[in-house]
Amino acid sequence: MSLEFGEKHFSSAQPESAARRIVTFKVGDRTFGIDVGMVREIKGWQATTPLPHAAPHVRGVLNLRGVILAVYDLRTAIGLGVTDATATHVIVVVDVEDKTAGLLVDSVSDIVDVPVSAVRPVPDMERDEHGLIEGLVLLDSDIVALLDLAAVVRDGGGDVALKTARAA
Amino acid sequence: MDPLAELKQTFFQECEELLGALEQTLQALDEGSNDSEDVNAAFRAIHSIKGGAGAFGCTELVGFAHVFEAALDHLRSGRVAIDDAPFALFLRCSDAVADLVSAARNGEPATERPDLLAALEQVGKGPQADVPAPAAAPAPVTVAPAPAAPTPAPAPASDDAPLGIAALGGLIAMVEAKTGAAAASADDGWDDEPVAAPVAAAKPGRDVRLRIMPETDLFRRVIEPRVVLGSLPTEDIVSIRCDLSQVPPLESLDVSDCFMRFDVMLRTELSIEDLHGRFDFSLASEEFEVAFVEEGEEAAAEAPAEAAGAAPEVPSAVAADLSAILAKLGPASEPVVQPDIRPAAPVAAAPVAEPPAVRQAQRAPANEAAGRQRQAVSVRVDLDRIDKLMNLVGEIVITQSMLVECVRSLPYDVYAKTAEGIATLSRQTRELQDHVMAVRAQPVKAVFQRMPRLVRELAQALGKEVRLVLEGENTEVDKTIIEELADPLTHMIRNSMDHGVETPDERSEAGKPREGTIKLIAEHRAGRIVISVTDDGRGINRDRLLAKARSRGLVGADERLAPEEIDQLIFAAGLSTAEQVSDISGRGVGMDVVRRNVESLGGRISVDSEPGRGCKFTLALPLTLAVLEGMVIRCGDDRYVIPIASVIETQHLASTPIERLPFGQEVLRWRGEVTPLYRLGDVMGSTGQTHENIVIIAETERGNNVGIAVDEIVGQQQVVVKSLEANFGTVNGASAATILGDGLVALILDIDSMLRLAASGVRPNVSDIKNTLSDLKLAV
Repeated sequence: MSLEFGEKHFSSAQPESAARRIVTFKVGDRTFGIDVGMVREIKGWQATTPLPHAAPHVRGVLNLRGVILAVYDLRTAIGLGVTDATATHVIVVVDVEDKTAGLLVDSVSDIVDVPVSAVRPVPDMERDEHGLIEGLVLLDSDIVALLDLAAVVRDGGGDVALKTARAA
Repeated sequence: MDPLAELKQTFFQECEELLGALEQTLQALDEGSNDSEDVNAAFRAIHSIKGGAGAFGCTELVGFAHVFEAALDHLRSGRVAIDDAPFALFLRCSDAVADLVSAARNGEPATERPDLLAALEQVGKGPQADVPAPAAAPAPVTVAPAPAAPTPAPAPASDDAPLGIAALGGLIAMVEAKTGAAAASADDGWDDEPVAAPVAAAKPGRDVRLRIMPETDLFRRVIEPRVVLGSLPTEDIVSIRCDLSQVPPLESLDVSDCFMRFDVMLRTELSIEDLHGRFDFSLASEEFEVAFVEEGEEAAAEAPAEAAGAAPEVPSAVAADLSAILAKLGPASEPVVQPDIRPAAPVAAAPVAEPPAVRQAQRAPANEAAGRQRQAVSVRVDLDRIDKLMNLVGEIVITQSMLVECVRSLPYDVYAKTAEGIATLSRQTRELQDHVMAVRAQPVKAVFQRMPRLVRELAQALGKEVRLVLEGENTEVDKTIIEELADPLTHMIRNSMDHGVETPDERSEAGKPREGTIKLIAEHRAGRIVISVTDDGRGINRDRLLAKARSRGLVGADERLAPEEIDQLIFAAGLSTAEQVSDISGRGVGMDVVRRNVESLGGRISVDSEPGRGCKFTLALPLTLAVLEGMVIRCGDDRYVIPIASVIETQHLASTPIERLPFGQEVLRWRGEVTPLYRLGDVMGSTGQTHENIVIIAETERGNNVGIAVDEIVGQQQVVVKSLEANFGTVNGASAATILGDGLVALILDIDSMLRLAASGVRPNVSDIKNTLSDLKLAV
């Protein structure tokens, strides 16, 4: 699968320091990251209302102070099954495109500053069928997969969900 | 926003209302109202538009409005009889003014309408018709302060008065000094010392006495005395006297009212008509009088001029009074007195000089004026603010239902008391919500008003004669619905104009009046707003519609449809029976789009047609999209809300045996009808165990009944509608979502969308059109 480098991310990250500030979080033993600017808040797990025939990774909708937003299960999105959500699980509320969405993860780990030059492309052998990973960052302890949030959210909504459900 | 832009914004908002009034009165006159009050109202409307436009420098608008106003003035003055007046032309002109206003608003270049201007100029060609019309943008008039110069040639027009004012500094200073320091000796209410004029006594010309008696709303029309006076040539002014007798006592004075009257002596070569023309933009014709002065009178008027320059005296008691009041007002009063915003300074100061006797005498009319004003008190509020208020009320409703659930778990003694409090709270919340909704409610007039123009333009384009009758324009409905009404109504009217009403010749042949009638009626019915569009045209051509539907494969060749069913095909996609595709309608995207939009709002549209007699479209919409009365139901672990409006009946499933059709579809016999049964858990993919022993009989938008099997009816409550689209997307089976008392989200079910979802689950390959049609057939 060919690799699309999200140039917009590079230009939008602070150009002077040429560094990206990244929030990292865990699903199982894997570490993911997104730009800190996209994170609106982090909250504990809260029950969601399932949507009929939605894509499998659409966990449902919840009420965030009067606004209804969809929660996506990152574990399901990367093909590791459904998260058995408990009070220790975390919903990362993010702004993606012009919408607000929740990302269900196991835990939030850290905020790290990473030079732009340290972002590596995803090797072709990695089976990222949906193009969810935008790049890799090598930390001392970990490999952080930078998420393309738009791709995570893309296949979730409305009619698309219905098609997915029918195909399944 | 800077104050000027804000004022301008207000002006454009007012323009919209004025245009509405203008159009309405012209329409009434066109239909033969013959009421001179309507003429006056139309005149006032265009006059106010012109005045405001002048203040904001919209020259094209002023130019056009001026000519229009002049034409209307002929009606007012009776030079042209109302019966003979070309109201069709006037209506087109009001459309043109609307265009100019929107051009000015958007800062676009205005389209010139020389044709209309020329036609207007022809109205009442008489002695007055040749008032210099500043249709062409008037050149800036520079009034040079040349006191002794011979009288200049009459200036072309006074519409650019604000520009002229700059050059009139001397005069203004004088007038202001005069009015501001009005002497106390004026026991007749008149300021007895006319301003000494910078004019040689031997100046050529005639003496003219000019009385200016502006209405009290002068300032609110964004006009001030110096604008009025500034439109006179400086060197012609002999004296100006300011009459302050109308000023009410200070305690009842509204500084935004104008109580000044002016008596101006002129020695001028200008004609009376020319002088009239100079006030056209600032004053209505009843607000001033121009007359030549007789010899003796002139001398009397001149005499007091000698006294000019006497030091003004303010009675010390009154002065103390005033300073005390001013001190009390403090800095807060300052913005009002700023001459830039409102020329209120002279007025504010003026009443001080007023003798008590006069004050007493004038009290009554002043109070009357104040009373008039109180009636019209209203506040303009940004819709955003009301929306926020509405959202907040929505949150309160949710919190309150949350409280209700908490209270249930309390021990009994505490519970009883708390429950009482909560019951009161519920009632008050409900009331609060109703009131906020009432604030948001707007009459459908806002949308209806656009329709006459549409009809006029279409009538012209199609060569048809159509009269539009509006009824129930004051029917109020939430603004969320108002916004959604314009498109369907436009489509429906277009459809009636294009397909319904025949050409005048065809109508004569059919023995109908040449002029067709379209009625647009709004009314409240059973918690909904029902709007109907009725025409007296040819009705739906069923043969052609059916043939078309057959040729498109929407109806099988051997299928037999009842006449009413054929009529409903007008809402099927891709059908248009116009012989020729026109600009107006006929692309076949009309009525099916209307139906879809209306249904997506939770509304319903239907058509009744009688061949040769006409056609009636009926649109029923909820009164608001912000809250709805819902039945909360449970299925498995999930809860849903069904709009009460869709629910016909609920019953235990045990009491009505489930039967099966040959292909497996479950049905109920309900009131003797075969009613399809859907299991909510299956359709919506509910989680958890379901036992579905309750059935809700619901009504689809097309009026069919379906049974929906659910586990439990939890309750009935008002729910706040929350968008799913905003942060997610459309959800099949649901129109929106709401937040229940425990903070969890519940989907608001959309019966029709649910049925489509169910159908797509059973037969995934059937296209939407076929589904729609099968639904249609179900209606049989």
